Amino acid sequence: MNEKLKELYKNVILEHNNNPVRFVKSETSEYIVEAYNQICGDRFKLFFDLKDGKMINASFHGFGCAISKASTSVLLSYINGKTLEEVGQTVDSFLNILDEQEEITEKITDDFEAFTAAKSFPGRAKCATLTWDELKLFLSKLEK
Amino acid sequence: MIDPTEIRKSFPIFANNPDLIYFDNAATTQKPDIVVDGICDFYKNDYSNIHRGIYDLAAITTQKYEAVRDKVATFIGAPSRENIVYTSGTTAGINLVAFAFLAPRLQAGDEVLITAMEHHANLIPWQIVCQSKGATLKTIPVNEDGSLRRDSFRSLLNNKTKMLAIVHISNATGYINPIKDMINLAHEFKVPVLVDGAQSVAHYEIDVNALDVDFFVFSGHKVFGPTGIGILYGKSEHLSRMEPLNYGGSIIKDVRFEKTTFLEPPHRFEAGTTNIAGVIGLGYAIDFINQFDKLKIQQYLKYLRNYCISNMQEIKGLRILGSIDDKNENGAIISFLLDKVHPHDVATILGVEKIAVRAGNHCTQPLMDFLELPGTSRASFSIYNTPYEVDQFVRALESIQQFFK
Ligand SMILES: Cc1ncc(COP(=O)(O)O)c(C=O)c1O
Repeated sequence: MNEKLKELYKNVILEHNNNPVRFVKSETSEYIVEAYNQICGDRFKLFFDLKDGKMINASFHGFGCAISKASTSVLLSYINGKTLEEVGQTVDSFLNILDEQEEITEKITDDFEAFTAAKSFPGRAKCATLTWDELKLFLSKLEK
Repeated sequence: MIDPTEIRKSFPIFANNPDLIYFDNAATTQKPDIVVDGICDFYKNDYSNIHRGIYDLAAITTQKYEAVRDKVATFIGAPSRENIVYTSGTTAGINLVAFAFLAPRLQAGDEVLITAMEHHANLIPWQIVCQSKGATLKTIPVNEDGSLRRDSFRSLLNNKTKMLAIVHISNATGYINPIKDMINLAHEFKVPVLVDGAQSVAHYEIDVNALDVDFFVFSGHKVFGPTGIGILYGKSEHLSRMEPLNYGGSIIKDVRFEKTTFLEPPHRFEAGTTNIAGVIGLGYAIDFINQFDKLKIQQYLKYLRNYCISNMQEIKGLRILGSIDDKNENGAIISFLLDKVHPHDVATILGVEKIAVRAGNHCTQPLMDFLELPGTSRASFSIYNTPYEVDQFVRALESIQQFFK
């Protein structure tokens, strides 16, 4: 396998793909956010409850490529027990890093950095941001 | 015999991309010199609008444009050029039949029958027409391997059925529907039949007359022709009773502010300036295919598919969707899954190795839902593909499976 590909499927991604964080179905959760990519059929659900402005009992389930699954797993590794504001900041900083136009100035953690290679593959940046985009949309609706 | 190495030489894309392994022929085919140069020559030497000018050039263009209808008619066994409607593609042809033929005849309580393996193009137009008329869209189910449940087909036909629309060869699995039997049975119930030939015309001999099919549609871009041009074949008895779907210039006999009368088919379905160069290009594409014996094409592609399958079967954890029995006829399509790797990851990795395959639901989402699959990866072959390319493809699959182990 060539270097460019190894870069894309870094250990972080393979590891999260094979052993996803908080990968459980919880249809009885207070909130269920569904992310669906019509182009490739990837479909994930985020499950969580809100208590005192914090996301708790967060988990995810669904099916998708290694990149979308791993990126959602990374998302879950951050959000459980966090306030909505903290979640919002994490989501924004991940999406900024994945945004082509955005100049990256902040220091990036390894688990975020792993996904930047997706930018150079046709159509794959969307895989990395699928559930993050959907969560951002959910948060913005919640504010209103 | 088909000699793919020789055939490749007529496709400039391969000279310009020597490493390209193009296994996405079900999505669209590459274009031979004769088509590319033919369109170029046409623009350089003969181009004008059609059916309008009184000058020589316009007459020449019109004549060339209309002559392609004869070529298409012969290519698919249609009785005359009057049965050949130029469209922008398969999708447009199906929409024309759904809205100009079926809609005016459909009533509440009627039924339209399709199969569960249809491309979205042969599903949504019928769904929308049914919804607008209070009719019901029924689907003939498929088996686990993607083949048609023939027993169900019989029981779904009844005197409420007003249309049967079926794909000839499934673009998702390569399964070939028994269209002749289906048409015969449908006709026993006086049900008109549309066949979606998008995947079949490039490789299979089509004889719409012998099939007795009511409508047959295909796209130029899947038969080595340009994009934006397609064909709707219709029986005269149907076309002559259909009103135009689009209104404007080029379709009229007589226009008054009170009333307009329209030209006879096929022209009444071709409003506005059509894809003239596309038609010319399609004509050259048919000349290109006509150099080959369709049976030889099928033989070669069957060999290539079987060769590929037998090598793929060596890979642990690889599953092929559909029939892999080499006695069964099948389109030149292999839809497959690697147990540890998502189809999109497969396509990305193959893409870096310059191997073009399609991944996803192949515009057949209901079929994938029924099979409980997120999608598949799909390799689809044409006459310029070689066993050597298959070897590289299989080797790449092995290394992907290894990497994700
Ligand atoms: C079986 C089938 N039907 C219909 C279509 C739609 O063809 P087009 O996009 O050229 O209209 C395709 C092509 O993707 C196809 O494979």
